[in-house]
Amino acid sequence: MADKPSGKAASVDREAKLVDPTQGIPEPSYSWRGLTNEWGVKVLPGAHGLRLGDVNVGSYGEVPDYWADQTRRPRGSVGRPGIPPLPYSLRSKHELWADCAADLYEEAIQRRWIPATEVPWDSLEVLPVDIEKAVCQMCTELSQCANTELEIITYWQDRMSYGYFEVKQYLATATFDCARQQEVLRKRALSNGGGLGIESRGRVNRIILESSGGWTEAVVYLYLLRGTYITRLLSGLLSAAHNEAEVFIYSHMLEDHARHLTYGYDHLKYASSHGKDATLIMQTLLAVGEGHMAAELNEGVVSTAMAIIFGGGIEGARTHGMERYLLLVRDFITDYLAICQELGIEREKTLHPVFKRYLENE
Amino acid sequence: MSEATEIPREHELDTSWMDNMAEWGVTAKPGKRGLTLADVQIGSYADLPAISDNMTGRPRGSTPRAEAYRVGAYQVHTLSEIWLDNAEYLYEEALQRQWSSATDIPWHTLKPLPDDVEEAECLLCTFFNEVEFVAGDVPARWIARTTPDYLEARNVLSAQVMDEARHMDVFRKRALANGGGLMRMSGATSGFVGSIDLARDFTEMSTRLHISGEGAVLTMFRMGELFGQNDAEKTMYRLCAQDEARHVAFGVMHLRCLGDTAPERREEIECYLDEAEEQLIAGQQNPAGRQSESSEALAVLLGGGSQHYDEGHKKLLVIRRRQLKEYMKRVISAGFTDRFENGRSPIPAQYAATA
Amino acid sequence: MMVVFPSEEWFQEVRQAYNSDQGLHSGGGGACDTTAGFKVGEYWYFIEFEGLECGQVRQCTEQDLEATDFILEMPLETWQAMLMDVQANGKASSNLTLNSIDLEFEDGIARSPIDDQYRQDLFYRYNQNFQDFFDASSLVETTFESQA
Ligand SMILES: [Fe+2]
Ligand SMILES: [Fe+2]
Repeated sequence: MADKPSGKAASVDREAKLVDPTQGIPEPSYSWRGLTNEWGVKVLPGAHGLRLGDVNVGSYGEVPDYWADQTRRPRGSVGRPGIPPLPYSLRSKHELWADCAADLYEEAIQRRWIPATEVPWDSLEVLPVDIEKAVCQMCTELSQCANTELEIITYWQDRMSYGYFEVKQYLATATFDCARQQEVLRKRALSNGGGLGIESRGRVNRIILESSGGWTEAVVYLYLLRGTYITRLLSGLLSAAHNEAEVFIYSHMLEDHARHLTYGYDHLKYASSHGKDATLIMQTLLAVGEGHMAAELNEGVVSTAMAIIFGGGIEGARTHGMERYLLLVRDFITDYLAICQELGIEREKTLHPVFKRYLENE
Repeated sequence: MSEATEIPREHELDTSWMDNMAEWGVTAKPGKRGLTLADVQIGSYADLPAISDNMTGRPRGSTPRAEAYRVGAYQVHTLSEIWLDNAEYLYEEALQRQWSSATDIPWHTLKPLPDDVEEAECLLCTFFNEVEFVAGDVPARWIARTTPDYLEARNVLSAQVMDEARHMDVFRKRALANGGGLMRMSGATSGFVGSIDLARDFTEMSTRLHISGEGAVLTMFRMGELFGQNDAEKTMYRLCAQDEARHVAFGVMHLRCLGDTAPERREEIECYLDEAEEQLIAGQQNPAGRQSESSEALAVLLGGGSQHYDEGHKKLLVIRRRQLKEYMKRVISAGFTDRFENGRSPIPAQYAATA
Repeated sequence: MMVVFPSEEWFQEVRQAYNSDQGLHSGGGGACDTTAGFKVGEYWYFIEFEGLECGQVRQCTEQDLEATDFILEMPLETWQAMLMDVQANGKASSNLTLNSIDLEFEDGIARSPIDDQYRQDLFYRYNQNFQDFFDASSLVETTFESQA
């Protein structure tokens, strides 16, 4: 059956075949047979098994720029007229796409980890109280960041069309990652004689959650602006980890987070080269967002907590601890500008003055 | 070295937050299962508010701030609306029992199949893609609507979103790996009133998704070992069935909890069950139901080819019987027994008729 | 050394084989916690899975199984057919897995001693672990009661 009649679904009288199952065996209609857009597809597993991207062959791999279908029709399958639409509001490829999504999906599955049993919890040892407080405060902050990421992803997930299922699949793994981050941070905070800290004032969480105009807008804030900073925080925490448990936690969070940023940057790249005025919009968003980010950076909680961790206690925090944190922020802003430049978003000239000051700190 | 680098400048620190930590001195210890979510339900961190006033997205038990932004208008903020007694265990179980469709399915055991059989399998895979789409999208939507105070229940839903992504992907892979392709969509999962999609209440959604919907799908997936034509298919269905059983467990335990803690909602729940049962019998969303094209495909697979359609159809009836029985017993386990004894539910009669 | 099925010794040997090699725990057969019973001919056995291991398995009475999540009960010939197949093939052929056998019986082979479907569903939720356990019996040289 190399060539099957393609496309048009024959109109079938579905009711005609209805027979009560207790009344003998109904004659099959076989009205579904032969209804395919492409037949004869045979993808063999490769060295890494059978991956999502591998089955993007023939027409099944064609990802259109616009997906008008508001049903749950799997991409490449034959549609059925008369199905009521669902409220999929993201129907253009540039609103969500990233070429790497299918690969990131498989990577997330291969690199899954289990906080309960894989973190060497026995390696935790009592820390001086100022350091424990700082670690616990960072767990609280980062947990709230993960919560924001989880809530904004799950807000958008079911508004994304099925034509771009690779992105939805990848985001399902990111959802799981965020849940796991909240879990592991809570576990760290509650297992070493400490507790949770004070909640974040939530300036940047707020701009992420309120970016309801589109997913791309959320990605700008969530990944380009805040995510880039979180990478620096996590690698800072990793370099100052107090025990094997923390090493495990931060390094695995960093890996997960790196995947999220890869998607985020890649999506922005796609959006900026395919969406109308996209880079200009991003520029406006960032000009506003930097202000909120700057205000959050100037609040004392995270900076003090990180300085204590870097300085090995309050005393060290006042000097080299804070210096190191300031360098961390400088590095973040350097990364941020580099990515903006790569994406073609002009930020250097009108960079927020607070950002500039951090950048000038040598 | 210059003197300047030896006398570093002093920075002012804001340490006020250090006096505002939440409950302090907590040391959860790992047990035989490592450090689980249950282990960190300790002291005030275990306290679950019956009504959550958390509108800022803070982790449960952390110190609230008066000036924090109210960014979370959480629709689900009453414990009985979403809670279940073993959420923390179901979440840990989900983490422990993940698998990979790329590497845990013996894809090399796929062999060319007769056209009718390949088509039937591909039709089912197309149908299951739609089913898995709903089962992922809908819980995701409810995560964003639920207060983070109910972290454990929310995390189980996050794990379900992950599981369903994997299910969708394994069925797509199967459809495209053995000389076939995707076929015509069923449309059965679209947003009709009374469907999983449109529910505006979490429990309404959960009775439909977790109990009647996934309960039926669980039986189907288990049957996959009978109608699967090779090890790859059998493994795929078996592993999906394990995940499905976890999702069903969420529904049963949540319904049990709601029935116990919000008895004023019992009659409302009975109405949802009425609707769910109508659909279970009509079978639009149930591939083993009596109205669907996918039930024909199933009969072909169960018979081992269209030449044995009648035999396959008989096996299909056994599946339906089992779906009905297990459904009833799950609802009973959830504490809604009366409906099967007082004539309200059509399921006992239907079950008897298929004997 | 030949061990007779069914016997406590046989189950102990299988437990050892299963616990000694993580390679026998297939994808999807991750950690679980459950207690269950087997009825083989006139004998009753109790089994407990703890995390990634089979914690214990022993002969017992029917009463000992009242608190378990579920009991697997099938005719002796079916147990033997299943295990002979495992011996011959290294693991159960697909029509002789626990799940397949369960489906062949009108009421299945799993039941909850207190008739609670939630607990019976654990047989489905942890199916792979039980399958891996019996598949591990391919490493135990087995003789059957009728032959012994
Ligand atoms: Fe599923
Ligand atoms: Fe499911």
